Amino acid sequence: MTEETRIIESTWDLTAYQFKIEADALNLFVKGLKDKKILGRKCRVCGTVYVPGPTYCRKCLVDIDQVVEVSQEGRLDAFTVSLADVRGKPVENPFISCTVKLDGTDSFLMGVLEGWTDWRSVKEGMRVKVVFKDVTQGALADLSHFQLI
Amino acid sequence: MNERVAIVGYKQTKHTVDSPVARERMIYELVKSLYHDMGITKDDIDTFVLASNDFTDGRTISEVFMVPRIGAYMKDETKVEADGLNAALYAYLRILSGLYNTALVIGFSMAGSEFRVPLTQAYTMDPAYERPRGLINFYSTAALQAGAYMKKYRFSDEDLAQLTLKNIRNANNNPFAARKEPDASVDTILGSRPLYLPLRQAHVSTYADGACAVVLSSKKTAKKFTDKPVWIDGVGHVMDTYYVGDRDLLAMNHLTAAAKKAYKMAGIKNPKKEIDLAEIHTNFASEEPVLAEAMGLFKPGSGKDVVKNGESAITGALPVNPSGGPLGANPINATGLIRLAEASAQLRKEAGQNQIKGAKTAVVHAQDGPGAQLNTVFIVRR
Repeated sequence: MTEETRIIESTWDLTAYQFKIEADALNLFVKGLKDKKILGRKCRVCGTVYVPGPTYCRKCLVDIDQVVEVSQEGRLDAFTVSLADVRGKPVENPFISCTVKLDGTDSFLMGVLEGWTDWRSVKEGMRVKVVFKDVTQGALADLSHFQLI
Repeated sequence: MNERVAIVGYKQTKHTVDSPVARERMIYELVKSLYHDMGITKDDIDTFVLASNDFTDGRTISEVFMVPRIGAYMKDETKVEADGLNAALYAYLRILSGLYNTALVIGFSMAGSEFRVPLTQAYTMDPAYERPRGLINFYSTAALQAGAYMKKYRFSDEDLAQLTLKNIRNANNNPFAARKEPDASVDTILGSRPLYLPLRQAHVSTYADGACAVVLSSKKTAKKFTDKPVWIDGVGHVMDTYYVGDRDLLAMNHLTAAAKKAYKMAGIKNPKKEIDLAEIHTNFASEEPVLAEAMGLFKPGSGKDVVKNGESAITGALPVNPSGGPLGANPINATGLIRLAEASAQLRKEAGQNQIKGAKTAVVHAQDGPGAQLNTVFIVRR
């Protein structure tokens, strides 16, 4: 604050909002996770396999009704060593966030990468597999991490 | 450069106060069925303009999740943080530029079920003077304006009730309206819940979940899409200062200026005579005479006579909101665009039970901000 400015207390009540979301797409994905499966949807027109699967194809603007179970193995696409949180505060135990393209799919899943000791040895293109939590609940967090194979 | 732009397709949802589907599915289905009706695909659209508001959507860059749902994947897209008629204005200008021949315009909102409209609107008030005291909001601003008009021009509570009833009855016959009150009467309106006097609940527009989509085309390509183009022959867009304390809520000089621009462009000298119908964005019934008069459609202060003579009724000399207007459905951000769709329906003789005979020229209005701080006017013709 300077002589030229003045601070006014102000609030924004976010409880003024509630959000309806499309249930089908999320429900399918988390139902799969509960059963320790990765479920997606495949467009019958262009063949794109989406994971998680939306109810329509972004490219073709058609409904997608074909549910597919996809491979739990794939390729490490990109990664970052997370040393700070979103506020810029250093994290005590650095971890790797990564995107993975599961075999046979056209979209990328984001998750935590494990199975490494020195991040310098981690390379894009390495093979990974999905690891679920021991006890799954039908929630996004059921996908524990990706493990280097 | 393109010289003339037409509305070649339009569609709105059946508006509700609690949509059974999420907004993403709502606009996906709306746009798909519009393309289907027109016999086109998303590939026929050069540019996409969306209307939404972060403060009414409760999330930032509120259009991003919508973009792929209207067929804009890998396409040119932009958004206005204002009413959908402003999005139509953007799209119109884009086509005039000659860079594009076709545009899809869409406005959407979940104002019926996802947020408390007066509360979120209050966050848009001036943070230094208006928000801290909490006195000025969209409702109280409208009430101040209504009170001033009623006092100055002896427009009674009964007159206001009659005007409200005209719109409710039009909405009853509009298949897209959310508000259905077949038993409404002057008495039920006068007896409805008082909010900010003279405004009562019955005077308030019906905040709704809904969307509206319009396809614009250059003259060059219009014939490809329809043999019933509706031409945009005039536009005007003027805003007043945001701070309510600096504004004359009765005079509405900025709206007069916007209307004059549109009339001049369309070659209209006597709007009252040359215009066959008006679709006006009113958030409260009391705004109708104020806005219509500022646009030169009726003599200043003549609201009482207009109501009494039925001049603004569907069968009157200059029908105002034959669709029922926003009193029937106000899905914020789509509301002004719906006015454009409703006017197009009238000019194309597709307005069903509310059809006005022989309508050729319409004036369309949209507003934003408290007390219609920002106004957009279109003149459309068949």
